[in-house]
Amino acid sequence: MNVAVKALKGEEISLSFGGIKVLQGLDVEFRAGEITGLIGPNGAGKTSLFNCLTGAYSPQSGSITYAGDVLDGLSPAARATKGIVRSFQHVALSPDLTVLENVMVGVARNFHAGWVHAFLPTLRARNEQAAMRASAMDALQELGLAKVADKFPTELPPGMQRLVEIARAIVGKPDVLLLDEPAAGLNNSETRDLMRSLKNLAATDLVMVVVEHDMDLVMSICDRIYVLNFGEIVACGSPQQVRNNDDVVRIYLGSDDD
Amino acid sequence: MEFLSNTARDLFPLVWSGMITGCLYALGALGLVMIFKSSRVVNFSHGNVAGFAAFLIYGFSSGVLLELSWGMAVLLTVMAVIAIAFATYAVISPLVFESDLTATIATLGVGLIAQGATLLIFGADIVNLDLPVPRFSMSVLGLLVTGYDLTVLSVAIVTIGALFIVIDYTKLGIAFRAISENPFAAEVCGLNLRSVHLFSWIVAAVLGVVGALLIVPTTFLSVTTVATFMLQAFAAAVIGGFASLPGSLIGGILIGVLMNLFTFYVSPEFSSTFLLGVILLALNIFPNGILQRVGGSRV
Amino acid sequence: MSDQNIAFESPATKLQQILGGNLTSGMLTFGLVVVLCVLPLFVGGSWMFSLGICFANSIGVLAVSTLVRYGGEVSIGHGFFAAIGAYSVAVLDTRYGLSILVSLPLALTLGVASGVLFAWPSRKLSGIYLAVSTMALALAVPEMINNADGLTGGYEGLYVSQPAIAGIKMSFQRYYAALIVLIAVVYALARLRQSRQGLTLLLSKAHPAAADAFGTRKDWARIVVMGISGGIAALCGAMLGFAGSTVSPSGFTLWASIFLLVGSVVSFYGLTLVRALVGGAFLTLIPQFLSASGAWIPVLYGLALLGVILFGHYLPRIKDRIAERKGGLT
Repeated sequence: MNVAVKALKGEEISLSFGGIKVLQGLDVEFRAGEITGLIGPNGAGKTSLFNCLTGAYSPQSGSITYAGDVLDGLSPAARATKGIVRSFQHVALSPDLTVLENVMVGVARNFHAGWVHAFLPTLRARNEQAAMRASAMDALQELGLAKVADKFPTELPPGMQRLVEIARAIVGKPDVLLLDEPAAGLNNSETRDLMRSLKNLAATDLVMVVVEHDMDLVMSICDRIYVLNFGEIVACGSPQQVRNNDDVVRIYLGSDDD
Repeated sequence: MEFLSNTARDLFPLVWSGMITGCLYALGALGLVMIFKSSRVVNFSHGNVAGFAAFLIYGFSSGVLLELSWGMAVLLTVMAVIAIAFATYAVISPLVFESDLTATIATLGVGLIAQGATLLIFGADIVNLDLPVPRFSMSVLGLLVTGYDLTVLSVAIVTIGALFIVIDYTKLGIAFRAISENPFAAEVCGLNLRSVHLFSWIVAAVLGVVGALLIVPTTFLSVTTVATFMLQAFAAAVIGGFASLPGSLIGGILIGVLMNLFTFYVSPEFSSTFLLGVILLALNIFPNGILQRVGGSRV
Repeated sequence: MSDQNIAFESPATKLQQILGGNLTSGMLTFGLVVVLCVLPLFVGGSWMFSLGICFANSIGVLAVSTLVRYGGEVSIGHGFFAAIGAYSVAVLDTRYGLSILVSLPLALTLGVASGVLFAWPSRKLSGIYLAVSTMALALAVPEMINNADGLTGGYEGLYVSQPAIAGIKMSFQRYYAALIVLIAVVYALARLRQSRQGLTLLLSKAHPAAADAFGTRKDWARIVVMGISGGIAALCGAMLGFAGSTVSPSGFTLWASIFLLVGSVVSFYGLTLVRALVGGAFLTLIPQFLSASGAWIPVLYGLALLGVILFGHYLPRIKDRIAERKGGLT
């Protein structure tokens, strides 16, 4: 059965900084077609695990694979070319580029016109730019951002900037989409829009991982949830299972009630 | 055998005189590093302002501007240089808090003005600036030591010693250290960034004057002399990691000795190219300076 | 570092948004090109000569501005790359009798190559550290030229005299060659801004980690920008040599490099034809007007540099203040 479903897997992942163990031999599996949530209190190791998946950190031991493909030791750039992309907790859009152009960067890795085409008005350059523009416009439309395509990111409210970033992540049709606190800094209605968009994005061949503080968001959009505490997995399962897990309740409500 | 005795005959004087000029490079480098440590600005005007100061001393003592005693001329010049440092900082201080790179470009502007002012007032000619340095020489273990050498050494030791005492023990010095470690935390703790910046700009300017004055006897004074000298100071600061006062001291002496050895044994015509190589090597191999211990860092 | 770079850029970016209406600026550029094309019919030989140099300097200003815009870095060593271009032209001219039709592509190639070669060891450096190493680069230039006197003619320099196209008056060739190269560079840079590579470079400047996550490594971006900028600077040098007809080490001192940066700052790091010409004119025409009292040039350049930087710093604040007052009234 697992042969059919592609998945991003981490096996026995351990990471430590100067003797402090941040991740202690985690086994995780993020399946295509599902939205997987990664939650836990501050310092639980969510972001560290996330950074191991994107390639920003190299775990001391353990292995990360996607669809059987070993990713260990690959830089973020190399993982990107394999279709594994991420969004950033702090909005990381270029202020020099319009919204549309920022999203176009997300699809750049799929195009390969050489330097001659960068400086001359060749047919290939025009076609490439038109194709990038069209995919970027599609992605913006999908997230309801088409009307701000020609604005600069600094002219948009934070919630929209966040959506632009997600548009940039999805425009290249990634296989794995890693979202780092997508709802951070958003107000309620923006969060609702975001939730709807993320649900729409879910597809049978897309692995989607969301690190998030906002419980409502995680509980309502995720198919599966990993709960981390002190670098270990405390619970794993459907939102319902996680909600009813005593350990999870204790972690989130404090240990003074036992 | 002959090779060994040749080496001894050439090498020791080269190293000795390299160390002497190295002390002067260190004085220049200390100024650059003090400003960089406190305000993250690389002061490209350092050499030109110091050169202007050397000319001012010449002007005040030779009768071109005034006819004062040497001591009075130096005093007046130091006051003028402090005023220049004050004015420079006043102009660029709003930029310092915005972007270190913009502020650094602005110091190029100040340097251009200082260069032009020197040309306007004193012209492009070479002038003779004599310092009241004791003129004697003696032989120590086969090494010729001159009064100039000893003057430079003692002035450098006194100046640098005083600087380190000020930084270690005075209130301003402690504030300087705190701010260079962590400007944000220091400001939260109620330290005044501007006064510390100003302190480092003024100290740097005075160090520059001292260095410029002492380098003049080895050469002549022209509009480019001191600016050229300060480039060695830049190299010294880079070798020291640009953010370490002891590092720039060692960097200065290292540059002095290396330059001497290079010009003697390799070629006197490629000294700037040699400096370029040294700077590139130092920046890439020891980006944090030679004194930085190699240790584990967080990813 | 990246945060500071944004701050460092923002006044200029804001200014561009304020000054640059797309349609009008396009028409302005077109009009300017037309005027510059017919200008030799109306002005005398000495003016044509100065304008040729002005165009060449404008190319140099563009080289520095490209590094600022696409790399977020500042160089005070572009005289090095300009020297490479200038001597490519001059050496091929005097030693082999080849015209710029041959030497210009060589200059461009060598400029790009040396930009990449310089960037490779210093690819991890940024901000002031890179600025200091470019300064060392600029300092070594005159010495290198003087010591390679068998090739470069040493202190005395070389004379550039081969016409690009035989039979056309040399004064016209000097003017139009420089103008054509300038327009070509501006056009190529405008294309770059639209291209895939240009977009990824701009993201890499602002957020290297984000660009990395989309397949653009920071080191690669740095090396590429340095290569492009070095190539443009070499074109500047080549045109300085051709339009100015002589090449000597005194043209490529540290001061020359600093002046290119001054020109770039004065043009607000602009990559358009108008901005480049403002920077180039500043570097070419002011020394001409002040030729009787040369000592004023550094003073004036210094004041202009400070003035423009402070203007760029205070303008957004003044605008905010005005906007606030307007908001208060309504």
